[in-house]
Amino acid sequence: MEPGGETEEAEAAPPRVLAVLTQVLERLVARNDRIGPEAERWPENAEDGWQRRQRGLAAFRAARPPSISVGKYLERIHRYTGCSPSCFVVGFVYIDRAVHRNPGSLVVSLNVHRLILTSVLIASKVLDDMHHNNAFFARVGGVSNTELNQLELELLFLLDFRVMVSSHVFESYYLHLEKEMMWSMTNQKITRAIFDDLQDGEAKGSVNDANQCSLSSPYHSID
Amino acid sequence: MTVAAPGQLNLEEPPSWGSRSVDCFEKLEQIGEGTYGQVYMAREIKTGEIVALKKIRMDNEREGFPITAIREIKILKKLHHENVIQLKEIVTSPGPEKDEQGKPDGNKYKGNIYMVFEYMDHDLTGLADRPGMRFTVPQIKCYMRQLLTGLHYCHVNQVLHRDIKGSNLLIDNEGNLKLADFGLARSFSSDHNGNLTNRVITLWYRPPELLLGTTKYGPAVDMWSVGCIFAELLHGKPILPGKNEPEQLTKIFELCGTPDEVNWPGVSKIPWYNNFKPSRPMKRRLREVFKHFDRHALDLLERMLTLDPSQRISAKDALDAEYFWNDPLPCDPKSLPKYESSHEFQTKKKRQQQRQQQEEAAKRQKIQHPPPHARLPPIQQTGQPHPQIRPGPSQPMHNAPPPMAAGPSHHYGKPRGPSGGPSRYPQGGNPSGGYNPNRGGQGGGYGSGPYPQQGRGPPYGGSGMPGAGGPRGGGGSGYGVGAPNYPQGGPYGASGAGRGPNMMGGNRNQQHQQQYGGWQ
Repeated sequence: MEPGGETEEAEAAPPRVLAVLTQVLERLVARNDRIGPEAERWPENAEDGWQRRQRGLAAFRAARPPSISVGKYLERIHRYTGCSPSCFVVGFVYIDRAVHRNPGSLVVSLNVHRLILTSVLIASKVLDDMHHNNAFFARVGGVSNTELNQLELELLFLLDFRVMVSSHVFESYYLHLEKEMMWSMTNQKITRAIFDDLQDGEAKGSVNDANQCSLSSPYHSID
Repeated sequence: MTVAAPGQLNLEEPPSWGSRSVDCFEKLEQIGEGTYGQVYMAREIKTGEIVALKKIRMDNEREGFPITAIREIKILKKLHHENVIQLKEIVTSPGPEKDEQGKPDGNKYKGNIYMVFEYMDHDLTGLADRPGMRFTVPQIKCYMRQLLTGLHYCHVNQVLHRDIKGSNLLIDNEGNLKLADFGLARSFSSDHNGNLTNRVITLWYRPPELLLGTTKYGPAVDMWSVGCIFAELLHGKPILPGKNEPEQLTKIFELCGTPDEVNWPGVSKIPWYNNFKPSRPMKRRLREVFKHFDRHALDLLERMLTLDPSQRISAKDALDAEYFWNDPLPCDPKSLPKYESSHEFQTKKKRQQQRQQQEEAAKRQKIQHPPPHARLPPIQQTGQPHPQIRPGPSQPMHNAPPPMAAGPSHHYGKPRGPSGGPSRYPQGGNPSGGYNPNRGGQGGGYGSGPYPQQGRGPPYGGSGMPGAGGPRGGGGSGYGVGAPNYPQGGPYGASGAGRGPNMMGGNRNQQHQQQYGGWQ
């Protein structure tokens, strides 16, 4: 079973899932930027056969942080591609899986945009009977066609081609995102120190299948 | 490590796909050739195991990784059954290349990607097309039961195949039959409200509800295709060889009667029903036309070729049909005759050379003395495929096991030409772009009819595809990965260019074009 799969009205107000994703990703990036700003750089003299698994998310790393915010970027992708909201949730699942498979990798401000674009592209190919091609996505996302093709392959291999998302997994992610949203709405004024502790606890307790939702954990990539 | 590491599923699946190089395999022979890629028979060096390597060509820059490949991989990763082709892994050809400074550049992926399948010797159409081939009744029952078992497994796992046809049913020399080519397949749920594309399934095997434009459908679509194949096995040739959608519907109505609210409640609500409503009601003639079939076969066929999808028999119920439980019983796959090993390089090479010589001879002959009736099927010149019916008696299936016939029984891409043995099917070649029964070639015809050209985008990859032809003409056994052919359009122009509902059609079109290349 697959969630959704068909196109929503692109002209309508952006679906709420974009706002939720924005929140979750921005929080994650803010934290990871503090933890590992130096992570994932392409090594100076890596061997030719430098394996994908060792590369992690290096291919997604921009030279400098893109000026467009995560929220605006998501909205832009939604507006022009008309991808169904499900694609964004599934894209989020892919990013989470990729991070899981590459425990040294962090989603940071330098790679989050390319990760979003690529994961939504793949999700739309998997889910929607109609979708735009890579050339279109590349223009929407502000990368070259060639680069997006490479990122697509990179992410597919990072995922080990595990692109199926069951309805059960989809729902658990969706619920998790909902809770994140609720949580952040009621806790906006809490100081950062408390914020960290609370979020840790909430993340662990928020979803039954915690290992499907590692992005929620502030410490998902260190330890 | 991660908080959530324990029990992480994907960490339990070594080796990681894509981690191995194609160098782990020794290519033995090319067994398919298409516009977009090749299929090789290969041996894994470490184990000696024979596999089929299907190259995923990545050179359509605008499309990126082919969507049919993504979908096929996604679905085959989940399906594990003896009657479903097994995708073993994905391998890459030698990795990232160095850029000018000699620095490894992981952003540059220049290699190829291959899907590694278990090796199968034949496909059903290829096997049936062998000169002198006659399937026995137990053999037909054996294949049908395996087909239904595999399909039942797919349906239980909520996967619609959406392209069941002979060339997608692979058969090995152990007599095993496996469903292949899941490039059009998709998941479904019984409560799924979303609309599905109706531009699926090769025309001759496409059920009436899709031809009438429904976008809500389920496993019954595959069962119609199974019925067509069943009848074809018994009858000796395709039973509903329509040239285009309207003609396909007409053929169906002529055989199965016309639908109405009595035999198919709700049919008048289907989008294009009114466009195709037959002027006069026709009687169901199935039992009359196939009266030479045995009783149980006919009973089962009746229930497969039922117009109303909700009344059509399911794969599970079909397996319980009397047909499979009455003498002669389905035989054990292992007892089936082993047909000559299909891919002996020399055999094939010889055949190819022979073919080439004859083609050249035919060409020369044509140039010098254009014969009034060319021996090549007319499709190759005119784009007007008329299925070339296999000569000879077509019905008796009750004979002794067929004699061994030489040569591979896969569909190869190249037209077989005059000497390639009798061919039942239209052969490839549609240079004029006049018509393509697979949703293609919609340029003229009925753009304003019930198959609307969507104003929002180019619904088809384009007509005039060289090499496209009948639904099962030259090639494409089930290892196929279709070429991507998705809409193009800039983000700012043409308001969402290409998001018309016919995407799969376009894709399919391309896919068939490709299939004429052989097993792609």
